[in-house]
Amino acid sequence: MATVTTPITPPARAVKAGAHLSRKKRLFWPFAAPALVLYLAFLVLPTIATVVLSFTSWAGAGDTPEPNGVTNYTQMWASDSFQYAFRNTLIYVFLGGIGTFALAFLFTMVLRDMKGGKIVRAILFFPNIVAPVALGMFLGFVFKYQPGKQGLANYVLESLGADAAKFLAPSNVTGVVTASLIWASSGFYITILMAAVDRIPPYLYEDAELGGASPWQKFKNITLPMTWDVVGVAGVLWTINALKIFELVFVLAGPGTYAPPNEAWTLGIYVFDRTFGSNGTPDFGAACACAVAMIVLVSVLVVLLRRLMRRDAIQF
Amino acid sequence: MSVTDVEAPARRAAKPVRKPPRKPRPAPGAKRFSPLRVLGSTIVWLFTAGNILVLYWLLTASFKTPVEIFTKPFDLPYQWFKVGKPFRNFIYAWNNAGFGEAVLTTVVLVGLATVVTVAVSAPCAYALTRLGVRGAGPMTNVVAIGMGVPFQTVIIPLFVVLSKVHLDNEYGLFVLYVALSIPFTVFLMTGFFRSLPDELEEAAALDGASPTRTFFSVMLPLTRGGMITALTLNAIGLWNETLLAIVFLKDQAHFTLSRALFTFYGAASYQSEYGGLIAGVAIVVLPMLVLYLVLARRIITGLTLGAGK
Repeated sequence: MATVTTPITPPARAVKAGAHLSRKKRLFWPFAAPALVLYLAFLVLPTIATVVLSFTSWAGAGDTPEPNGVTNYTQMWASDSFQYAFRNTLIYVFLGGIGTFALAFLFTMVLRDMKGGKIVRAILFFPNIVAPVALGMFLGFVFKYQPGKQGLANYVLESLGADAAKFLAPSNVTGVVTASLIWASSGFYITILMAAVDRIPPYLYEDAELGGASPWQKFKNITLPMTWDVVGVAGVLWTINALKIFELVFVLAGPGTYAPPNEAWTLGIYVFDRTFGSNGTPDFGAACACAVAMIVLVSVLVVLLRRLMRRDAIQF
Repeated sequence: MSVTDVEAPARRAAKPVRKPPRKPRPAPGAKRFSPLRVLGSTIVWLFTAGNILVLYWLLTASFKTPVEIFTKPFDLPYQWFKVGKPFRNFIYAWNNAGFGEAVLTTVVLVGLATVVTVAVSAPCAYALTRLGVRGAGPMTNVVAIGMGVPFQTVIIPLFVVLSKVHLDNEYGLFVLYVALSIPFTVFLMTGFFRSLPDELEEAAALDGASPTRTFFSVMLPLTRGGMITALTLNAIGLWNETLLAIVFLKDQAHFTLSRALFTFYGAASYQSEYGGLIAGVAIVVLPMLVLYLVLARRIITGLTLGAGK
């Protein structure tokens, strides 16, 4: 008998609140499903397919994928083009990253108490809204080497009495792209870091000023510790973006719509060239293997970075 | 509480005109010559001047003849104004590179894709942050990880499947643009929804609004700023997107701007048609510049919300 009576009737209001909550929860799938389905279908499943295909030999459309173990990986690893692509990608991630963040940090030291800082930030951000293709073409004009028709950089060099340099020769192109990358992307990181600096209570800086701290001391003891988590996120963003760099190099280092010389390749170009490239036959298996290498590299670097950056968060 | 809040009433109360307290004077020797400050300001100004010069060069070069571009890079484009055909480069790019059609395709494609992306992502972000469903937090993280996946890693299976169903055209590209913009947009919108106070939702519930109505009439309008930011950032990103457009667009009549520019590059380089090429670059860059100038603050808040906290 007791079991029948046990359903305790809760107070009326609680029933309503509970009903409301469950009605709210019922909304979850209709609201979340469209985005999640698209995400699953166009990002998660293709990624899995790429991993599977990387273990097959597959020339592309018209051919059928045949399992071939790790052959793609061993062949890819031994090839010159992959080694150049791998090396260049690491150069962009590390050298470019060090340059960009050094510049961004330097700017956070001076931009805070500089007149017109907001305008300067907006101007520095400008290259980030330019299409990488257009940016690559523009930089191609800047670094053009053609006696009598020199690009901007060589024009300046020559008017200063120096010799024109072959900036875009295959052996120099990685250096030029790294410098361009630092120039183009520093504005983005300056913007993010400065927004974090703006949230730091100003009395900390006032106090430091009273104590006669130099910009470096203020940076080391206030700015960096207080923005550490934002620096971490910015580092992750940098890694992700630098790893997939493609259009900028493709256009800047290449003669046009054909792939640039091997020395200038990045992992992104390797994938593109092995799939849709105009020189050589397509090799979807190798392209997938390189795509997997990209995912592995981005995961390893991001995890490492998060490890290195781990600190106790400062509340303020 | 900031310093000014405390001082304001005090100043009003004290009748004898008392100067408002100045900013504390730096300690003796604090404003000493700092090489770092000098170096820093110099670099900042050089950098800023460099960027302005780049923009100036791009704008003037698009009105110049190839000879002028290379021999007088810093001069104003006087020749075309003298000859009387100032827009020759733009007309060339418009007609010979198919930019006219490309502008229409790009505006429609990017416009629709951004709107649909936000329309799909906003409810998802709301569901993930405010419906109190278990597992929503980890799910948000799973979606956010999608931002780190390079497009190159998904492009091969997508290309194979989409060409099989004959969607290797602007319709397929539209779906791809929406799907691949979702991780970032959801992530950004969760930030905006999280910042809204709970009381609003409770008040709406007490007034008898259904959860759906609460979302559409109370919560969604409050994130209007966030939605504008998401629209802008996606518009800039998709307007500039080239890799997917190169892979999926075959028909020149339906090229996007960046795709048309990419094709034009090869042809124009061979013909030394640098004036037209620079004009093409300007056609791609300038609309985004205008958008950026109008919405700079929104773009920056959006970025900080996405990347900061």
